[in-house]
Amino acid sequence: MAGIDKVDVALSLLKIVIVVGALLNVTPIMVWVERRGSALIQDRPGPNRVGPFGLFQAIADAVKFFLKEDIVPLGAHKWLYTIAPMFGLVPALTTIAVVPWGRPFVLRGGRVFEPIVADLNVGILLIFALASMSVYGIVTAGWSSNNKYSLFGGIRSSAQMISYELALTLSAISALMVAGSLRLTDVVWKQTGYFVLFNTIKLPSWNVLSPAMWLSFVVFSVAAFAETNRLPFDFAEADAELVAGYHTEYSSMKFALFFMSEYMAMATMAALVVTLFFGGWDIPWYNEPATFGGFLLSAIAFVIKVSILLFIFVWVRWTIPRLKYDILMKVGWKVFLPLAVVNIVLVAWFIAERWI
Amino acid sequence: MIEYAVFFFFASIAVIFAFVVILHRNPVVSALSLVASFFALAVMYVLLEAPFLAALQVIVYAGAIMVLFLFVIMLLNLQRQREEPTRPIQQFLGYLGSAAFGIGLVYYIAKYAAMALPVGPFVADARTVGVALFESYIFPFEMVSILLLAAIVGALLLSARGVQWP
Repeated sequence: MAGIDKVDVALSLLKIVIVVGALLNVTPIMVWVERRGSALIQDRPGPNRVGPFGLFQAIADAVKFFLKEDIVPLGAHKWLYTIAPMFGLVPALTTIAVVPWGRPFVLRGGRVFEPIVADLNVGILLIFALASMSVYGIVTAGWSSNNKYSLFGGIRSSAQMISYELALTLSAISALMVAGSLRLTDVVWKQTGYFVLFNTIKLPSWNVLSPAMWLSFVVFSVAAFAETNRLPFDFAEADAELVAGYHTEYSSMKFALFFMSEYMAMATMAALVVTLFFGGWDIPWYNEPATFGGFLLSAIAFVIKVSILLFIFVWVRWTIPRLKYDILMKVGWKVFLPLAVVNIVLVAWFIAERWI
Repeated sequence: MIEYAVFFFFASIAVIFAFVVILHRNPVVSALSLVASFFALAVMYVLLEAPFLAALQVIVYAGAIMVLFLFVIMLLNLQRQREEPTRPIQQFLGYLGSAAFGIGLVYYIAKYAAMALPVGPFVADARTVGVALFESYIFPFEMVSILLLAAIVGALLLSARGVQWP
């Protein structure tokens, strides 16, 4: 490991602080967006007492989580019951490490600052690897609670998650084929620039704007919903069906960890959708210079795109009803998996014919 | 220097959790300890400069196969079984067999110098593995997929016994 000096270590620590800080802050913001957004869709006011527009509601929730009594049910397996939330939290916090969130720019000493915590050669595989770890949180929580409803919620949800993981990985492959590499930075660089449509309109060459990628975009988005256990795939929680599913028996801080890890996983999936299909940090129609100003603009663009996608997550949650479980599994295996495989062949053909 | 520290830390994790797998009485804890052991093995792969294999180890082994193991264990609802104490002859043969195996393994590995590094640059990224899989190893690749298909069909047949098809 040649050439790593103190400045590199300091920059890496700074990047980690920024990314983890941003991710930890997603939860209170999303709590507010979820509650006010759902209220908007359901034509009611939502929380509006705790601050202007209910903005401090998340702080009130956090205080509640700290002060609640931490109950461990009688027959629960104490060790597994305690570490189950950690299984959910660790993937949620670490998968964001390989997502690029800004344009690399040149610092004063000629050093290049890459705004990505770990620019691995096998970047996206880390996300898939750690996303499969999050299944363990749910299934361990469901089993160790010594509660029928939790076990049902846990097993159903983990079966759904591993089924849609296949569709997720296979549909992401098309974006990786276009970029020719597993690194997410290469995927984003391939989407900078533009292409001209009908000799008049100049469109950014984002993956979502090329017709061959529409199928993979749809499959990936649906699988992203399934992976994060959001409606219409929220069998883990299934309010009104399973009491509260796998986190029925969890109170105070452990429940807060599950809650946080769900929103952080949602943010990571949204960031992944933006990186693979919407051009990541690329600002359309603008060639960002490799300076700090260009980096800042690109980071802001990335955050805006992720926020729009997170709002769409909330929107879909309160609009579409939950599918029946066997229909969901049927659709996952018989519809989305073949579509994802067909999509790989389609995109490979397009690349071979140089239409992409 | 730092590689030694990482290696010893994760090697001890792998060994300790492997012991937990065989010694713990609760099968769910055993399965989860196996997952932890596989994670430590993935770190070994990274130390050997094969991050692609490390990611694949976690995705396939720890992320898919062990989840299925856990399903079966959790759905079976095993009660605490009282095992019969092992007889002295079983213990003796067990220790003798494993000691013989271990000594033979170490001896033959050391004798045929399998600890020497292969010549040439070592590249284990996705492109190299993919090209090798589709060019040199295409026949084993297809054979393995047929083997998996046979296993799936067998499992379906075994589980569908007694079901009245409409």
